[in-house]
Parts: sequence; structure tokens; C-alpha cells
Amino acid sequence: MSTIEAVTVPKWGMTMTEGTITQWMAKEGDSVAHGQELLEIETTKVTNVVEAAASGILRQIVLKEGTTAPVGALAGVIADQAASQEEIDAFIASYADRLGASGDGQAGAVAPRAIAVGEGVINVLETGLAGEEAVVFLHGFGGDLSTWLFNQAAIAETHQTIAIDLPGHGASSPLAGGDDLLARIVTAVEAALEAVAPTRIHLVAHSFGGAVAAVIAASQPQRVASLTLIAPIGLGKTMNRDFLTDFIAAERRRPLLGVLERLFADPSKITSDMVEGTLRFKRLEGVPEALTAIADIIADDTGQRQSIAEALAGLKCPVLLIWGDQDHIVPVPQAADLPANAKLIIIPGAGHMPQMEAASTVNNAISENIKG
Amino acid sequence: MAQKSFRQALNEALHFEMARDPRVIMMGEDLTGGAGANGVKDAWGGAFGVTKGLLGAFGPERIRDTPISEAAFIGAAAGAALTGLRPIAEIMFVDFAGVCLDQIMNQAAKFRYMFGGRAKTPLVIRATYGAGSRSGSQHTQALHSIFTHIPGLKVVIPSTPYDAKGLLLQAIRDDDPVIFLEHKMLYDTVGEVPDGAYTIPFAEARVARDGKDVLIIAIGRMVSVAEEAARKLAADGISACIIDPRTTSPLDEDTLLDFTDKIGRVVIVDEANPRCSVATDISALLADKSFDALKAPIKLVTAPHSPVPYAPNLEDAYIPTAAAVAKAATSIAKR
Repeated sequence: MSTIEAVTVPKWGMTMTEGTITQWMAKEGDSVAHGQELLEIETTKVTNVVEAAASGILRQIVLKEGTTAPVGALAGVIADQAASQEEIDAFIASYADRLGASGDGQAGAVAPRAIAVGEGVINVLETGLAGEEAVVFLHGFGGDLSTWLFNQAAIAETHQTIAIDLPGHGASSPLAGGDDLLARIVTAVEAALEAVAPTRIHLVAHSFGGAVAAVIAASQPQRVASLTLIAPIGLGKTMNRDFLTDFIAAERRRPLLGVLERLFADPSKITSDMVEGTLRFKRLEGVPEALTAIADIIADDTGQRQSIAEALAGLKCPVLLIWGDQDHIVPVPQAADLPANAKLIIIPGAGHMPQMEAASTVNNAISENIKG
Repeated sequence: MAQKSFRQALNEALHFEMARDPRVIMMGEDLTGGAGANGVKDAWGGAFGVTKGLLGAFGPERIRDTPISEAAFIGAAAGAALTGLRPIAEIMFVDFAGVCLDQIMNQAAKFRYMFGGRAKTPLVIRATYGAGSRSGSQHTQALHSIFTHIPGLKVVIPSTPYDAKGLLLQAIRDDDPVIFLEHKMLYDTVGEVPDGAYTIPFAEARVARDGKDVLIIAIGRMVSVAEEAARKLAADGISACIIDPRTTSPLDEDTLLDFTDKIGRVVIVDEANPRCSVATDISALLADKSFDALKAPIKLVTAPHSPVPYAPNLEDAYIPTAAAVAKAATSIAKR
């Protein structure tokens, strides 16, 4: 029996509704492998590459270069030799019906909302159908919920998802510094979660967000169903503290771009929208002070200040660690620093942002960890 | 994040800074809703509704209506700035700045230089500009080139509600005279604006859209025209990058040169008349410092060298369009 797979316009970020095909990297008739870069799509926020979701032959390009189409539209068809042209034509026709049947003219565009918590507001972006479990995304130092641009929509196909702006980031209120800052950040996040998803949760967290997630998981083990930590702090002492101070000091686009480039193995992944979005929250009054306070609890002259190994070791739920092998901010820790119950995936060719640099690999890993 | 209009964003900035700094005062015609409002104070919030609510919040000592006497109240504002206040003077239409050019050009702009840097002139002159509102030749000019030409003045020309708030807060906190230009047709545009206070530094261009085939440098309201053109170009397979300088003086030369070096094809879009303009100034800058990177002639899309017509069809023809921008970009995209 022949296999026919769709290549569709993906959804990068919850506000994306359409994309323009700027380049096909394979021709009709070419053999393509699963994970191979197949086409480039431009949106108003980002230009990125779509990888082949299946191996086979690129039998038909449906959307030519220069075409703008809604999220979910059929861009091309991958099939094996056994598939007849009639079968492929029928598949294309059926796909047009499928897109139209969604009844979602905005392709699921959603907007974030502010949740009042004790010391201000926490900004959250929710999508996916509410169910018994929700997947919660926590970004790292200097990030915001757009860190999950390439991940949240993919996970939302099967779960309710909630991406959160940590205090002092994105559109969430900054918190004043203090020895109990991490605990107050955790309290604010938990208060927001209680309001939007009082269910069991799967935590997916990046870098500094990993420390927040570890505290939540350790204090609410009955509620946390799984933990996926991407380059978390707290599993070793080594880190690039200059990144923290340079990030706080960068008040303009050009120097900030130079700082953000250190996050990626391939700096061309950084868009102007990403730089401008970061500057937006950095410019808000109170935020530089709040970031300085957070930086102080992350690292000092001797290296990282947090330790999450003990908290992770006590968890019964699945714990997955994901690292890019070219991470120069929080390098891959030594084996001795890793808890025995954690599984580690190292992604070659990725820096400190594998969730953006190797999105499909990370999405698959998150999905597997959620299944337990 | 909250969606707010350009008008609301400006109002928030004024509210915030007047509450934060008691030295900030405002003066101008009809700021408090004066004549024609049946004696009801603050009925309009100024001719364009930007100052609504300020009178009630800060009182007539700090929000002052003036007679129709731009030369007098701009001079008074410049003097007040020298004495330690931080005045915001509103000229209803920038076209009227002509009668107070001595105060602006010969006085306020010169104080810092003439007094060896010891005099501060924290004066903001807000004014509306631009065509499209059927207001006739004397109420619709885009005069940013004139002010940009004068050393000692800073010139701000925001294109989005977000920028309007952040740039106005920066302007009020600046110790030099700032000409702050608001396009009449932008007041009702809506965008994301944080509730809190924030400032955007001057000489910090915004990359409004990434692209690799053509660089469109667009000023003020023309940024939205460039964005419409970029959508047309994308449908034709041409990827356009858009940069909004935000301030024409000081100008973020580094960003303009960086992107010119990277892309090599440039269209400059400005609603002002073309002769001796910001568009020609930027064009000369790029030709001087990035000539080797240019792959095609720099294209200018501007209004014609004519007064703004009053006849609606002629006024529409006067304003640069997305089609004209797309045509210019297409003409150099493949060269």
C-alpha cells in the first residue's frame, strides 16, 4: 500500500496565521529524508525552514515559491513510488477540504492575557483543548513566551498548553530583588497556574526557568506529571556570567543582537522581531533592576548559585534533560552532576536554544517525555 | 498586552510624565477644550483629543490654553525651559511653526551651543503634520526636513502607538529642544502598548520587517505604506526589509548603513517634498558611505515638489502609495 504524507504550512507562534513560501530546497522528483530541510517560509515575524516529516519522494509541490497561504495549507506531497498520480490528486483534493473544514479563519490565532497574582500580573498564552493535563512552558533569563515560538503550537495539537512570561520578562510585572526572589517567582507562577490550569501539569522549562520548574516539581510532586528541562541552570557550577551582565547592559538593538547571538550555534536564526521584542520588555521601568536581581541569584563570581540536582533526584515522574552540544551559556554538565533518574539528550549543532535551533527534535522529545 | 491607539499612547505618556515630574507643564491652543466647547473645560482634549483628562488631573496652572500666538507661547516655553521647567508646547499644525522660527531656530536650538553647554533647554514642541485629512495646503505639510536641517534640534517622527509613547517620554526627559511630529492620520491606528512607562532612545532605528532583497527606509506614516508594499512584493517573491529611523535628528546612521551593506538595494519613502529633504539626505549618506555595497541606484518615493493640494483626488495623488513603493522596489530588485 502506498504512503502519502503532507507537507504543510506550519504554525510558528500562536499569532501566525499565514506564511509565504520563499524557497523550495528540493525539486519535484527528489528523494527526501525525514528531518531534511525542505522549504523556507517567511512570516511577518520570522523566516524559518520546514523539515520533511517523512522520507520518500517529493512527488508534488502544491504551493509555488512566492505563494502566501494560511497555516495548515498543503504545500507539497511526499509519497513513495507506488503512489499513483490519481492517488496524489485525490489526496490534494481531500486536503483542501480538510483545511476548509477547520472553520477557523484565523488559523487559531490567540492572544496572551494577564493574570493578577500577589505582586502584579503574570502574562500567559494558552492554547489547545483543556483536558486533564496541561503542558506549561517556562522560558529562561532574558526570554519571554515567544521562546516557544516553534514548540507550543506543535504540543497544543494534543494538549492544553500554557506559555508563561516569568516576572520581569515579557509582559509580566517585575519583582524587587531579595534573598527570597526565586521563591517569590515560583509563588507568582504557581498563582497564575492555579488560575488557568488547576490540573496535573507537564513542565517544560529552559535555562533559568529550569530552576523555577524544579522547585515547583519538588514542592508539588502529586501535580507534576513530567519534567522536560532544556539547558537548565543548577546542574553544575560553570556558566557564562558575562552573558547575564551584557544582556542587562544592552539597551540598543545592535549591542543586544551581539549578546543574543551567543545563545545560538547559528546566529542567523535571530530575527529583528526577536531583538525588538526583547528590547520592549527591557525598556520597561523596573525591569533592568528586576533582571539584575535575577542575574544575582543565577550566578556570582564563582559560577552558578542554584542547585537542582537534589530536587530532581527526588522526583518520581519522568525527567528529561535536553542540551545543545554547542551551548556556551550553560555548558553540558559533567556526568557526575546529573541525577540518576534523569534521561539526557544532547543535540549536535545546537547552542543554548535547541528548542528553536532543533525544534522538531525537541518537540518529539517533549512529546515522548509527556507520554512517560 | 493592551491594544491602544496612537492618541491613547501619547495621552498616557503625557499623564505619566506630568505625574512623575512636577516641572512638566503644557501650553498651546485649545489644550483644555476652550473656545467652541460651550464653556465646558476639557471637552475635546485639544484639537485632536490627545490631551483629554490632563486638565482635570493637573489643573490650569500646568495645562495652559494660549491665544493664537505661536510666536509668543513658543518663546515663553523656550524661556520656561531655560529657567528649569520642562514645558511641552503644542502647535496645532506644524505648518504654523513658520511664525515662530526665530524662537525655535535662532533661540532654543542655539542655547546649549551659545552658553558653552551650561544652559539646558528641555523643551518639547508637539505638532501634527501630514496629508490625507482634506485640510488644505497650510495644514498638511510634512516639514521634518526643515527642523532636521537645524543643528541643536532633535526631531522625532513616530510611526506606531508603541513608539509614540516611548519616544514622547524620552523627548520630555531630554535636556535639549525636541520637535515631536504626529501624523494626523495615525491618531486612530492601534497597536500593542505596555501600560507601564518606558523610553526609546533617540538614534535607534526600528527594523520593522526582516527581508533580504530590498531595503525600504520609511519615515513616519510612510512605514505603514511600506508595510503594505512589502506584502505586495512578497506575493511577487521579493523579500523587503523595512527600517523606520524613528528620529531624523539624531539619525541612526549605523543601522541604515549596516542594512544597506547587507542588502544593497534601497528605496527611501517619505511624505515630505523631495528637494533638500530627509530622503535626499539619507540617500547621500548611503551613497557616500556604502557606495560599494549598492547593487542598483537608490530610489526615492516621495510627494511631488508641490504644495499639498486641497482637491481630494489631487491630495490622494500627492501622497506616496504602496503601489509606487512596490514599483520602485521591483525596478531595482532584479538588477
